[in-house]
Amino acid sequence: MTDVTTVCPYCGTGCSMRLSTKDNQIVEINGDPTHPVNGGDLCLKGLYGFKHVASPARLTTPLIKRDGKFVSVSWDTVLDAITERVAAIKKESGPDAFAVFSSARATNEEAYISQKFARAVLGTNSVDHCARLCHAPTVTGLSMTLGAGAMANSIPEIGDVSDLVFIIGSNTAECHPLIAKHVLKAKERGAKLIVADPRMTEMANKAHLWLRVPLGHDIPLLNAMMHVIIKENLHNADFIREHADGFDAVARAVENYSPERVAAMTGIPQADIVAAARAYATAKAAAILYAMGVTQFSSGTGNVVSIANLAVITGQIGRPGAGVCPLRGQNNVQGAGDMGALPNQLPGGVPVTSNPGRARFEEAWNVSLPPRAGLRITEVPNAIEAGKVRALIIDGENPMMSDPNTEHFAKGLDKLDLLVVADLFLTETARRAHIVLPAAGWGEKEGTFSNTERRVQRVRAAVAPPGEAKPDWWIFQAMAQRLGYSGMAYQGPQDIWDELRRMAPGLYAGMSYERLDTLPGLCWPCPSEDHPGTPVLHVGGVFNTPSRKAQLKPVLFDPVSVPEGERSAFEAPIIGHIAERPDQNYPFILTTGRRVYHYHTGTMTRRSPVLEQIAPEELIELNPQDAKTLEVSDGDYIKVSTRRGAVVAKAWVTLRVPPGVVFGTFHYWEADANEETSADDLDPVSLIPEFKISAAKVTKSSVAEAQSSVMSKRVYYREDVEVAAIAEMHVHQEGRP
Amino acid sequence: MNRFVIANPEKCIGCYTCEAGCVTVHEKVGLAAFPRLQVTHTAVGTMPSQCRNCDDAPCAKVCPVNAITFEDRSVQLNESVCIGCKMCALACPFGAITPYGTMPKGADDGTYGTYPEPPPTPPVPDDPVHPLLAWTIGQRSVAVKCDLCHFRPEGPECVRVCPTKALFVVDDDHVDASIVRKRMASAAGYIAKG
Repeated sequence: MTDVTTVCPYCGTGCSMRLSTKDNQIVEINGDPTHPVNGGDLCLKGLYGFKHVASPARLTTPLIKRDGKFVSVSWDTVLDAITERVAAIKKESGPDAFAVFSSARATNEEAYISQKFARAVLGTNSVDHCARLCHAPTVTGLSMTLGAGAMANSIPEIGDVSDLVFIIGSNTAECHPLIAKHVLKAKERGAKLIVADPRMTEMANKAHLWLRVPLGHDIPLLNAMMHVIIKENLHNADFIREHADGFDAVARAVENYSPERVAAMTGIPQADIVAAARAYATAKAAAILYAMGVTQFSSGTGNVVSIANLAVITGQIGRPGAGVCPLRGQNNVQGAGDMGALPNQLPGGVPVTSNPGRARFEEAWNVSLPPRAGLRITEVPNAIEAGKVRALIIDGENPMMSDPNTEHFAKGLDKLDLLVVADLFLTETARRAHIVLPAAGWGEKEGTFSNTERRVQRVRAAVAPPGEAKPDWWIFQAMAQRLGYSGMAYQGPQDIWDELRRMAPGLYAGMSYERLDTLPGLCWPCPSEDHPGTPVLHVGGVFNTPSRKAQLKPVLFDPVSVPEGERSAFEAPIIGHIAERPDQNYPFILTTGRRVYHYHTGTMTRRSPVLEQIAPEELIELNPQDAKTLEVSDGDYIKVSTRRGAVVAKAWVTLRVPPGVVFGTFHYWEADANEETSADDLDPVSLIPEFKISAAKVTKSSVAEAQSSVMSKRVYYREDVEVAAIAEMHVHQEGRP
Repeated sequence: MNRFVIANPEKCIGCYTCEAGCVTVHEKVGLAAFPRLQVTHTAVGTMPSQCRNCDDAPCAKVCPVNAITFEDRSVQLNESVCIGCKMCALACPFGAITPYGTMPKGADDGTYGTYPEPPPTPPVPDDPVHPLLAWTIGQRSVAVKCDLCHFRPEGPECVRVCPTKALFVVDDDHVDASIVRKRMASAAGYIAKG
């Protein structure tokens, strides 16, 4: 057996792990005891979620759909076909007829090459990745206020330094278990834990103070905390004077959010709001941890800006253990954005609209680059509908299950003239493609991931990819070369990484593979080979904004609509409201999220039998009070419908959700809550959908209805296409008669 | 005194790693591939529940075929001898024994599971009976309980894999130390009050 050290492929914590292999198979995984983040421990996905690698359902050959059936073809044939169709579409409709979905699951090197492919080869800025659906408001909200859309502290600081941890909208225990461990470590050290969450998560259970904020009401809560802080003179006037612009407007804005009023609006006890505000403001080093419970709202940017406002006015930022910590959900979602897999940014955060910024890349890449921002993921379905986008290339994402309003998205996919998907499996999305490319996955390729704390770490190959599967970087390079682009002739990931280091030297120049190979990663910025990396951002209150000061912005909220009088008192306030409120026909709120034992659309974790055994099916959380009204017992099937779709699954009758709220996940195609979410109610700044709030109807269902629902989903997601394609690939592998 | 595993609820984050670890090691040695501890969510907190290896174990008393015996300071259940009568599960005051059966291929009703190897998902009976008495055509169940991973010299796997180190083995030393500590606290409190 041989051991290979690499990084976990699941959440953004970036745990280091050791893979034991035998006969080209991963047989066991253990935590890396030397690592500063996970120190030898892993959660169940890290320890046991690797069986997908050797799954018989892996894609082993390129596939082209002919007469509705996938046929195995050679790489030569498939690349010729792509070249022909791409060239034709480009000639007819121009470069903006293309869109590329890059991947937060692939390596930095692959995210870099995917956006280079979109921009330099296709000629469009319409390249985006699924951060649009998770932390887009972090990028917009923290960039506009603090100048950097990233976690400001390193993970170990939470356990070692913070004396107050304020978790808002993060189910840390389930979604980032090894970060939760650092929170528990802080608590054992005597730190105070405050949790704001509508659900009674494990972190809420462990909190000294749990604020059960109703869904979508983060802004009034945060404004009320600031109201108390300013009224009681607990704000840090020196820090504000020296390091912030816009305090007066924020102070005026929060004036209207007294704890009395917000207590009445939210049901959170007034005394708790006051206690939370005092504790946060007077802590020595307070960290705010947040995730999708802040961002996935039509007021996502407003929520994030409110968090930044709170941290800045109290000076709880720019020191070890004190800062704003968005917890990123995917192994390389931080990296994918940093690499420029965003429609408005080149690698290293350079705006595509900046002439000098673009010029550097034009010179290096030897092309002229489009000067206007491209389409964001959530704009693409409508652009397809309107005939503007004709071809879509998707690298390692499964938007049929992860994007909102599945029916709307599926209609878009089916209207495309060319859909190319590169993936490990014939996912729900790939089944609708014209061309499918077999990709090498985690454990089979070299490169780097950037975790949530901006730590860039080496990932390594332990086994060979199956059949003819190739790494994503090879795929993009092969397509580029066929299309006649000469600027991609990389020998391997290290070449790509070194190009990135030259293009974004301020962040990465000091991160050679040689250094990364010997260190437990380096946090950007790391501008030179002797630089130790930067665990803490905004040190000394210096922000990466034009004035070097934090830019505070007033944020206003009303569930229905902020009155005109309140709005007009401010210059460009950020406004929050709830797009779809419960009504007579849809009296519940459906909210969505993840569970610990599965990952996102389940393509990987559901192929690890032990994870699937523990959690074989969707359980929809339902409050006991509602269960009683609906005459539903724990384990009975219920049907949850919204204006966009319906799922049937078992009810988990539990106090985890408040009355009037049901919680579902997007792990199971049999009952994917995302089918029911809206693709129209977007945050105006970041265009993230309001995944966390959909008005819903809940009714008691039956075994018969559950079975017929699963049968219809089977047809809807075209399971037969996958079954046939796997058989086809197996025949191909064994050699045709 | 018998040894047992228990969790500190202050440290348990409900991550289910213990369950997955438990299944994995037992499957490897040919025992029932079923978690021998169950993460249990309550209104006041979450922790896994599992066998206390009672010194006067009611499960051993009710077992009609002597499948449950005292071995090496623990209560062990022989899955080969067990006849699946479920009396032990009913007798256990902690809900620590679960009847579990392996589903023969083809007995799955096909509601769930579509990948080349469908996961064993028991179908839902139309008319639910008490869970301990539920049964499925083609399924033979045996009682499954924590065996302290007696086949692993390193001790229970759940303790090893728990990422927050919430799980630990309780033995004589542990109980003695805890009793002495509490005696001291109690005496000191009594004396201080005068």
